[in-house]
Amino acid sequence: MSAAIDRLITTKASGSRAPAADDAEFFRRIHLDLAGNIPTATQTRAFLGDKSADKRSRIIDQLLASKNFAEHWTDRLSVMLLERQQLSQVPHDEWRTYLKKSLQDQPRWNVLVGEMIAATGKGESRAAMRFLGKGNHHRLTEDIARLFLGRDLECARCHDHPSVDDWTQAHYWGLYAYLNQTRLATHSGEKQSYFVENLATKKVEFQSVFFDEKEDTGPCLPGGKEVPIPKFEENQGFKKPAADGLPAVPKFRPRELLARDLTSGQNHLFARNCVNRIWAFMMGRGFWMPLDQAHSENPPSHPELLDLLERQFVAHQFDIKWLLRQIALSASYQRSSRLPPGEKEVEPENYRVAHLKGLTPEQLLHSILRATGNEEVRAQESTGEEKFDRRGYFTGTNTGLPTAYADIRTIFVETFGQPAGVPEDDFAPGLNKALFLMNDRLVLHWLQPRKHNLVSRLAGIESSDAIAGELYCSVLSRPPEEEEQQELSAYLEAHRDRRTAALADLAWSLLTSTEFRLNH
Amino acid sequence: MPRPGSTSCQSPCHALSRRRVLGLLGGSSGFGSLLQPAIAREIAKKERQVCLIWLDGGISQFESWHPLPGSQFAGPFRNIPTSIPGIHFSELLPHTARIAHKISVIRSMCTKDPNHSTGVPRIQRGDPIDRGVDYPYLGSAVAKLLGPANSELPPYVWIKPGNGGFIAREAGFLGAEYGALALGDGKAPIHIHRPESISAQQDEARQILRERANQRFRSYRRASEIDAYETSYRVARQLMARKDIFDDNRIDPGDRERYGTHPLGRHILRARDLLESGVRFVKVNSYHWDTHGDNFNMSQRLIPQIDQPFAALIDDLDERGMLDHVLVVLMSEFGRTPVINSRLGRDHWPDCWSLALAGCGIKRGAIVGNSDRDGVFVDGTGYDIGDLFHTIFSVLGIDPRRKKYRHKGQKLAIAHDECGPIREIMT
Repeated sequence: MSAAIDRLITTKASGSRAPAADDAEFFRRIHLDLAGNIPTATQTRAFLGDKSADKRSRIIDQLLASKNFAEHWTDRLSVMLLERQQLSQVPHDEWRTYLKKSLQDQPRWNVLVGEMIAATGKGESRAAMRFLGKGNHHRLTEDIARLFLGRDLECARCHDHPSVDDWTQAHYWGLYAYLNQTRLATHSGEKQSYFVENLATKKVEFQSVFFDEKEDTGPCLPGGKEVPIPKFEENQGFKKPAADGLPAVPKFRPRELLARDLTSGQNHLFARNCVNRIWAFMMGRGFWMPLDQAHSENPPSHPELLDLLERQFVAHQFDIKWLLRQIALSASYQRSSRLPPGEKEVEPENYRVAHLKGLTPEQLLHSILRATGNEEVRAQESTGEEKFDRRGYFTGTNTGLPTAYADIRTIFVETFGQPAGVPEDDFAPGLNKALFLMNDRLVLHWLQPRKHNLVSRLAGIESSDAIAGELYCSVLSRPPEEEEQQELSAYLEAHRDRRTAALADLAWSLLTSTEFRLNH
Repeated sequence: MPRPGSTSCQSPCHALSRRRVLGLLGGSSGFGSLLQPAIAREIAKKERQVCLIWLDGGISQFESWHPLPGSQFAGPFRNIPTSIPGIHFSELLPHTARIAHKISVIRSMCTKDPNHSTGVPRIQRGDPIDRGVDYPYLGSAVAKLLGPANSELPPYVWIKPGNGGFIAREAGFLGAEYGALALGDGKAPIHIHRPESISAQQDEARQILRERANQRFRSYRRASEIDAYETSYRVARQLMARKDIFDDNRIDPGDRERYGTHPLGRHILRARDLLESGVRFVKVNSYHWDTHGDNFNMSQRLIPQIDQPFAALIDDLDERGMLDHVLVVLMSEFGRTPVINSRLGRDHWPDCWSLALAGCGIKRGAIVGNSDRDGVFVDGTGYDIGDLFHTIFSVLGIDPRRKKYRHKGQKLAIAHDECGPIREIMT
């Protein structure tokens, strides 16, 4: 498969291509993409020293099987699906555990999405129901269209899409008709809410703001066949009577049908959309961009490859790990981000050069902790006493430092992430982010020599070349160049009266460098 | 839900990241026009700017701009003459009465929403025709439409009681970068300050290291992401270099006296300094104007807190020659009921209320609109919030009939399609 990827990518890419990424570049990239973190200096050195020919494919398999993979892809999928919104009463931890369990094993996209859409909240489907939030029909219609079909149908709620001919208002309302019977109901004994469905008796009516005629539709996937709404004799439409505050269970439950039909291998949009999103996570851009603009006027850059990946993905039962592995093994993924000699700019859609990807807030935090030798922070639990005053931390009234990992993580998400409800699929530098890395007391605290952290380790090394080796391997996951060694040596010499502080300066300058901030 | 991160489907074949990155450099984003700071500074001298003073909860028009002594619902306060012959304000506005000839007052606002929760966003978004998107608040709209006036400073600064930070929610579909730098109680976010543990010298030294590392990385790679990242540091450092404009110690004691030492006075004084430094749009928020109970004592306490600094601001801008290009808007989400309730309060009243504007193409001394005898309804046709937005955009040099937002392939009007500018207050 990866050979086919490379053939179809190179066929299209005219002009020179970047050479293969060297081992260090590849190793850092694959760690960030699959495990959400930079490698440790020790891991990097071992990999660079390893002379075996199959070391790249071995590390890919190792990482895919690792706990960190499940951890990181839980973040990725959760942020993609919920966009950091707190819409549901299902605790976030429960939802994470659910995703993580699937990712540790064999994550199948159709199964996951099917479970989320069909969730009632009973038994095992409790965690999956977090996706449904409070069951807002319009939110669900729009999110399902956007996240699972690649179609941002928001405009089509009120009229056919103004500039995309193949997106109609009927598409919006066809999806809506799968969902509009769904609501939350509370079990009187358990005092817990479940998703239930009312009995659909008629189609959904809608009207364009531009025309007077009303139209109607039953449940219908874009480009699919409308599901007829069955007629039942009076009181014959239910398979279970109402009980314990929960309404009767109807025989016809369109949301369950949506879970089944949406995720079916016959639904090309669904499989293609997933392929496109996973491809974009790995390659830095999708076959179509933006990710929610799948339509005929925005054709994919590599239609043949997309078709092939879609077919194979379905044949491999929507196995996300399989797809990630095929991409990771390809030379296209493993290309350097360095421009070929003589080139200044390259057109992005041809993948002649590896794309630069911004680190997610979580990747950034975890990488900073690892680079600075403060990984124990990740195990720090909240003491449960007073809640850390985060607002005060940002305004200066709270002069303490957060210790609990959960608080620190939230601070990074608030600073480097998008506001809740906005997709995080882009590298967006900003004033506040720069100010944070420049002046945040916690970041600077991590650069104070303590125990076995980076600056403390560097302070114990005599020769400046050995310092450079340790510093560059720890922070940038590569050995230093000669120029960099000289610069470091000169800096230490110029600041010899404040050597430890100078080491922290050097570490800081690499932490705040573009090379660190990007997955390159 | 709003998804400001997604982009127009007009040019779908362009990479999102690339476009946004170029936007950051090209000036369409909040901190743009950085590439030519000297030119930007030159232009900034005459750039149009805005100060929106927002009295959250609703100031009573009867106790301020539109007193109707002797009418059925009048309160206990007298009216006083203003600097415009024949025009009177409430006696709670003595300072503003003195400068009435420099401002315009509209006494015939007639809007739709009597609820705070929906009224505040509705009014600050200009209540455009519902197109299923989250419109930006005025500050984010101006940040988008005009960009920064001074390349060193963010285009939208929001001075508010309580907490500050970077607040993106007002930007609506424009996207987080058009949000506000919020100054909690007028103070800059803590991260603008270099911690004491880092000396200026050390900071300079470490920044040079960082820049060199970036140059090395850049020499073999596509430049746009790298430049955008470097730019964010440059902007951050420029803002840090200008943090004096947030420094309370620099405030002239005489100014403090003239503006008042209460939060609203301090915050409007800070707004003046920010406008002078070249911030495009400054919003000042004051809360607790919702006088459902004890309206008269509350008004007696609150209204002087806006009277004094508002008049001082107008005077200062005028004296400095800034009133020709700085627009000042003083308003709430609605006015208050003529009927005085059983708790001696006035409730929400969108049907006939008042607001004040000054500067930047707004007439001096135009007091327009009227109500019926008892101040219940507008006499004649009232002005809706959409009319005010047309007016604001027009005097800022943005034609609301021609200028459109682009969002996901839709062209969206920047103000209500069926409204128009309030000509009688425009020069």
